[in-house]
Amino acid sequence: MTAHTAAHDTAAPETPAAAPGVRIRDLTVVYKTPAGELPAVRGVDLTLAPGTITGVVGESGSGKSTLALSLLNAVQPPGRIAAGSVEIDGLGDVLTLRGEDLRRARGRQVGYVFQAAQNSLNPLKTIGKQLLDLGRSHDVDDLRALVRDAKDLLARMGMDGARVLDSYQHELSGGMRQRVGIMLALVLNAKVVVLDEPTTALDMITQATILRIIREVHEERALTTLVITHDVGAVAEVADSLAVMYGGRVVEHGPVTEVLGDARHPYTQGLIRAIPRLTGDLSLARALPGRPPTLGTLPGRGCVFRERCERRMEVCETDEPMAVNRDGRTVACHAADRHLSLVKRKEFV
Amino acid sequence: MITGTGITKTFKQRGGVLGAREVPALRGVDFAIAKGGAVSFIGESGSGKTTLGRIIAGLESHDAGEIVIDGVPMSSLSHRRRQPYFRRIQLIHQDPYSALNPTRTIHQTLEAPLRLRARQTGRPRSWADQRAEELLAMVGIDPGYVLPRYPHQLSGGMRQRVVIARALTMDPEVLVADEAVSMIDVSLRLGILALLKDLRERLDVGVLFITHDIATARYIGDDGELYVLYRGQVVERGATEKIIADPVHPYTQSLLSAIPVLHGLERPGAERVVPREMQREGEPDAGCLFARRCPFGTERCANEMPVLERGPDAEQEYACFHPRRRSVIPVGVGE
Repeated sequence: MTAHTAAHDTAAPETPAAAPGVRIRDLTVVYKTPAGELPAVRGVDLTLAPGTITGVVGESGSGKSTLALSLLNAVQPPGRIAAGSVEIDGLGDVLTLRGEDLRRARGRQVGYVFQAAQNSLNPLKTIGKQLLDLGRSHDVDDLRALVRDAKDLLARMGMDGARVLDSYQHELSGGMRQRVGIMLALVLNAKVVVLDEPTTALDMITQATILRIIREVHEERALTTLVITHDVGAVAEVADSLAVMYGGRVVEHGPVTEVLGDARHPYTQGLIRAIPRLTGDLSLARALPGRPPTLGTLPGRGCVFRERCERRMEVCETDEPMAVNRDGRTVACHAADRHLSLVKRKEFV
Repeated sequence: MITGTGITKTFKQRGGVLGAREVPALRGVDFAIAKGGAVSFIGESGSGKTTLGRIIAGLESHDAGEIVIDGVPMSSLSHRRRQPYFRRIQLIHQDPYSALNPTRTIHQTLEAPLRLRARQTGRPRSWADQRAEELLAMVGIDPGYVLPRYPHQLSGGMRQRVVIARALTMDPEVLVADEAVSMIDVSLRLGILALLKDLRERLDVGVLFITHDIATARYIGDDGELYVLYRGQVVERGATEKIIADPVHPYTQSLLSAIPVLHGLERPGAERVVPREMQREGEPDAGCLFARRCPFGTERCANEMPVLERGPDAEQEYACFHPRRRSVIPVGVGE
């Protein structure tokens, strides 16, 4: 992408501070239901390397949005973070922050675009007024500069900044509101940016443009970025690494080219096979059988994916596969383990 | 067989800072959908694809042009006498969550139109129940499980199948599927697309597929036909596989270029086309509608509007003064 290199030419005069790393350890988030507390995210370890874009892909009910909210320590009741830590360089464990410290961290250190950002704006205030509110609540001294930055970001996303800031949300289309949400997440210069479904309601060309801008801003400002999506395609091109979630677990994680080019978890393989593509044999593509689990239908033990898995073994019914890290790739699957060990053995023969 | 010629529609926008203005949604569109055929309308929001689908389903009026259903021009009939014709065309909504009445069981949802159908065709009332089970089985869900349940008890994929079953109660000739898979979980989308393809073969029902994602259009049948719409004009048309493999209009090329490359499995096409600007609302209509955004636009494009013309390949039409093949789509790493 030529846009990547262009971003370097226009870098700010002062070198941006180094991007922070993010380490999620053993994170478990539970939701209170009539059937007791059930885990939406369970025992998740995920490291976001400084300066990288990590894509988290999962279907509805995979726990991906809950994981994203945990980065802000913003899980709302009936949800509760039951265990684990989220360490962000320069900020410490977000899960121990309370009150004013937490409020400041949100927006200043961790920028966030909520899912359906187009519906999270205040209908009674112009976008500009909301921008100023945001600036004041985070003690921004130079509000003029903030407005300038906002207009600049909006212009890059193809909008007339001055006009947008004078508008109420109902005067903007869904795609425009989505871009306003992205602007609000970036404008305070947070170093960790979380984007939950940033392009879901957008057309293909707009999606491609927004993703390119996300990538450009990410590189210019040396950010650490997390993109949450249900659509592998929406992150395949911008992400450096890809984490695949299923039933509250990260089942596979690694560099994006390796996870897509040589998927090891049967769910990842099935998901890739299910993507409508422009080329290739139509008959090879097919939907995954079954359907994604919900909190209520998650199996109590064993592998979360076994119901839909074509490589299910006896051990999958009883034992949960451990996440195994090998050569920078993480896979949680009994069958993948066996496959790998077979390959290994062959190599040694 | 449903054909349309010169379908034109203009929306009048009231109020706003600029006062009232006219927004052309469709500018003389021609189309034909054969029995059992597959036709896809591709375009971004504002392309007019949804409006066209609604006009074809009889849910929206048009300002000029003619729709002919099974040889009968609709303009020759009164509003009332048109209804039986438009009943042969059933719309499947984008959102399976709002398309079903939440206070009715699936049994109740299917029963009402089937009773009507039984009366129309002189069948006994008991036929309705039997038919409901047949239809659910046909769309790939277990009638025993689904019939007594309410929509909220079903997954998105199941709901969309119920919506399709309901559309089938009227024995339609054409199903109009407007973004029918965009709200379905990715792992299940191909299942719904395969169902549409299967219904074409089993019931000889035509499918009009409306989407912004060209790739999905391939999966309702490789014999399909594709119309690329831009701001109310058909800018390229032809066999789906042909248009995807050899697009010549820069807008079609932009749409195809925007589809993300799955790194590791694919390499980007060598000549990906990126529009110069994003789409703006309320653009003036001078010359080619795509000229301002087109990376290859010339002075002629800014002043003169190209019309849809047949290319050297009889099966492909386009509205462009400078048509050129470009390799824009991703290439498989192994190919």
